[in-house]
Amino acid sequence: MKSFNFWIIALLFAVTSCTIDKTDYEAETGSEVPESYEFKEATSLTSGNYKISIEALNGAFYKGYNELRLKITNTQNNQELTTASVTFLPILSNADGSKSSCPHEYNVAYDATNKYYSGYSVFTGESTTTASWKLYISFTADNQKYEINKDVTVEKQSNKNLNMTAFAGNDGEQYVIALVSPQKPTVSENALVAGIYKYNKPTTPAGTFPDPSQFSYSEVAGYTLKLDPRMPEPSMGNHSSPNNKDLTQETDGLYHGVVNYTMTGNWTLNFIMMNQNGLIVKGTIVPTDHTPGVEGVKSELYIDTLF
Amino acid sequence: MKYIIMLLFLGISVTAQNQHAHHDSIKKLEEVTVKSATKKKIETEMKMAVSVDEFLSSSDNISFIKRGAYAWEPLLNNMSTERSTVTIDGMHVFGACTDKMDPITSYVESNNLASIDIKSGQEGSLHGSTIAGSIDLKRKSTQFGLQKRWNGAYQTGFEFNNKQFFNLGNVSYSGTKFVADGSISYRTADNYSDGNNDEVKHSQYNKFNTSLGLAYKTSELSSLRLDAIFDMAKNVGYPALPMDLWLSRALITSAAYKQLFEEGLVRVVDTKVYFNTIEHYMDDTTRPENLVHMDMPGWSTTYGLVSKANLKKNDYSSEIQLNAYDNLSIAEMRMYPQDRSERTMFAYSWPWVTTRFAGLSMNNSWDISERSQINLGGSLGVNYNYSKYVEFNWIFHPGAPQEKTRFLPSLNAAYNLNIDQFNFSVGTGYGHRAPSVSEGYGYYIYNSFDRYDYIGDPNLKNEISYEGNASAGFKNERLSIQGKINYFYIQNYIIGKILSLGSPMNYQSVGVKGYTSLDYATLLNMSANVSYDILEHLHWKGTLTYARGMDDKGGNLPFIRPLSYLTSLHYMYKNFGIQTSVNGDFEQINYSPEYGEDLTGAYTIWNISADYSFKINKVKSTIQIGAENLLNEYYSTYADWGNIPRMGRNIFTSLKVNF
Repeated sequence: MKSFNFWIIALLFAVTSCTIDKTDYEAETGSEVPESYEFKEATSLTSGNYKISIEALNGAFYKGYNELRLKITNTQNNQELTTASVTFLPILSNADGSKSSCPHEYNVAYDATNKYYSGYSVFTGESTTTASWKLYISFTADNQKYEINKDVTVEKQSNKNLNMTAFAGNDGEQYVIALVSPQKPTVSENALVAGIYKYNKPTTPAGTFPDPSQFSYSEVAGYTLKLDPRMPEPSMGNHSSPNNKDLTQETDGLYHGVVNYTMTGNWTLNFIMMNQNGLIVKGTIVPTDHTPGVEGVKSELYIDTLF
Repeated sequence: MKYIIMLLFLGISVTAQNQHAHHDSIKKLEEVTVKSATKKKIETEMKMAVSVDEFLSSSDNISFIKRGAYAWEPLLNNMSTERSTVTIDGMHVFGACTDKMDPITSYVESNNLASIDIKSGQEGSLHGSTIAGSIDLKRKSTQFGLQKRWNGAYQTGFEFNNKQFFNLGNVSYSGTKFVADGSISYRTADNYSDGNNDEVKHSQYNKFNTSLGLAYKTSELSSLRLDAIFDMAKNVGYPALPMDLWLSRALITSAAYKQLFEEGLVRVVDTKVYFNTIEHYMDDTTRPENLVHMDMPGWSTTYGLVSKANLKKNDYSSEIQLNAYDNLSIAEMRMYPQDRSERTMFAYSWPWVTTRFAGLSMNNSWDISERSQINLGGSLGVNYNYSKYVEFNWIFHPGAPQEKTRFLPSLNAAYNLNIDQFNFSVGTGYGHRAPSVSEGYGYYIYNSFDRYDYIGDPNLKNEISYEGNASAGFKNERLSIQGKINYFYIQNYIIGKILSLGSPMNYQSVGVKGYTSLDYATLLNMSANVSYDILEHLHWKGTLTYARGMDDKGGNLPFIRPLSYLTSLHYMYKNFGIQTSVNGDFEQINYSPEYGEDLTGAYTIWNISADYSFKINKVKSTIQIGAENLLNEYYSTYADWGNIPRMGRNIFTSLKVNF
């Protein structure tokens, strides 16, 4: 009998002793990627009888692409103002007094279906002690033009899948590329959406501040963004994926393509931006060979992601 | 928790049953075997204390892919384990390692096995759908009411080349109502040295195995049996791979109810439910050359049912078997840079793949005359796969279905004829198999042989085998000659092909291969065996095997054994025995560079051993000393992963005590 007991104790020990836990895959991908799909009021401004509420994802402005929803309410009768012509201008002031802007929708149009004024702003930097953002908004109501402004805080975008890059193209123009979606990529073919914007150099001398002609940006039309996603870390040996699609512009003005993530981890989206004529504006071809132990070479135009 | 309770219950029932043991031995439970060609006694000609792998390799139609000194992957009819079914007493167990570092044969030990039943081709479809055949590892199971109630054996030994030290013990109790079998074993080995006396690093292993079987006679003609095997391997080196094994554990349990019938067509019905779980953790931190580390844990859990009925009436006998199982295979990849707190990547190499199989098989045999016999068999199985994280499969196969159901039919027929001292047989077979988990759903599984990352394809077609076999033999009192041949024409033969898309991921990898179907492949296996008793106590044996495998373009298939031979002499005098053997392969002319093979040269190995049996009191003992690869030849075989050299001269000693 002793031997039986021995075996049973041995088996008991074997069965109960600890082993490596399986990865909780759903929780794991969730923890790396903060996700926010809810629009909340990020700031509000008041001018006379009117209150302007600006809604953004998660109720905050982040570096990179921000979809904005503006609502103008008459505080007297609580009626929403839907017919105003609204302009929106974000201005960045540096310590040296220099002022600049970022890609934005200057004329914010009313979206009757969703009942808000729809715009966007691609903040190119976070608010710091030496750099502060201010929003300049104007609208017309009762045949009167209202102009207001307010300081806002632009926070760090902790979701690397909404990263952006600003650069000078080979054509001498200033460009910004900002990732719009997916917020939360998965191991799969992800629809990749990005905005490409260009700074319109002023052709006229500056008028009274803020003169929108000095701070004008536009969506770039008809370009192609060639995509080559790779895992840059040395251990990944320049790993890439099949079935990716280059980004081209669609009717919403944004650029749409497909990025196929084969596994979770750090990825670099290597881009080559070409203009309407197929000329390279920015970007270099990256090596495609498997180079274990060597950090992957990035294109001169790239955006890092992580999930 | 479930099994803990079960085990506790077992413990209690053991105590209870022993007290009620009766002394009425009227009938013994005996197995009615319809047809079997089992290998009896787990020992080889040369060695009495062998590992399961060494024992299997003494069979003609088994060869091995070796990734080191441990856990060799058995190839049946020169086909890898996806194409054969390997079972333990009919129970399906699936390895938890994507790199096939843990074939099922690595989870048992020679002292808990009674025999190994090898069936070639569709004849082996009784245990589930197969192409190559089946290997069934039969556990020891003592009969009720033996005259000698307690039996036991103890083996110990030391092998000098790799300082392998092993201790194997097993004991059995046979009462009229209650039977128990237990075994325990431990093996430990250091790195071995090749024929140039160079140490082959990372070839050590440590294995612990224990098993327990309890049977209770519930009535004159029925019994209940509970079995468990626990196996643990730790710190096992795989010199041919870029990583080693830190820990693997298997718990294999079953409960069986057997009912005998004295009259009627049905003679035995044996129904078993089983559960087994395997965990397998690789470790590459032991390799300083790896700048990055990858954890690749794997888990495999199987629940199953196997129910077998033996029928017999006059000249007709039949085996009917129902197999059903549910397996969940999970394998993860997680990479770390030098700083282990940071993570580089995560992916599933088996994205939680469920396999469910249910099949009904039948083997019928008629003695149509005194000299001839017809066998007809068939099976129909349903195989269902489900990939939980199918997004990994969609990377290379967009839109592939998450679930897939396949029907797997099988048919076989054979005719045996005995005329005086001659025997002949011809047979044919047809069968399907479903792709394995790796072939169907594998994701970036690194194959260090051809250095490609492998991707599974959920849409692969069933592999379909058309098979023919024949044998002829002659036997008289002194001479026995047996020749066998079989030929397989396999449609939709699954093999890895280089993918033009995708980029490699694993550290040593050079590219990506996807499992794809060739239109067909063909395989021919031949063997000839001769044995001759030169004198009363001097026996000679010779074996010659040849195989040829080709793809649809006439190219060579990988891992096909070249012409090989084995010749041995065995001399006995009183209690003294001496045996010597020479074996080797010819040059592997038909190698396959496409699949990472290069030309492997010929080699010849000479082995010798001597044993002496004696009795101390009533204890029968045998002592053996011998040498493998006596001439210390430096060689590697066609199936040595990455051309790692085999073991050089190895002097082995062992002692076996039976009481």
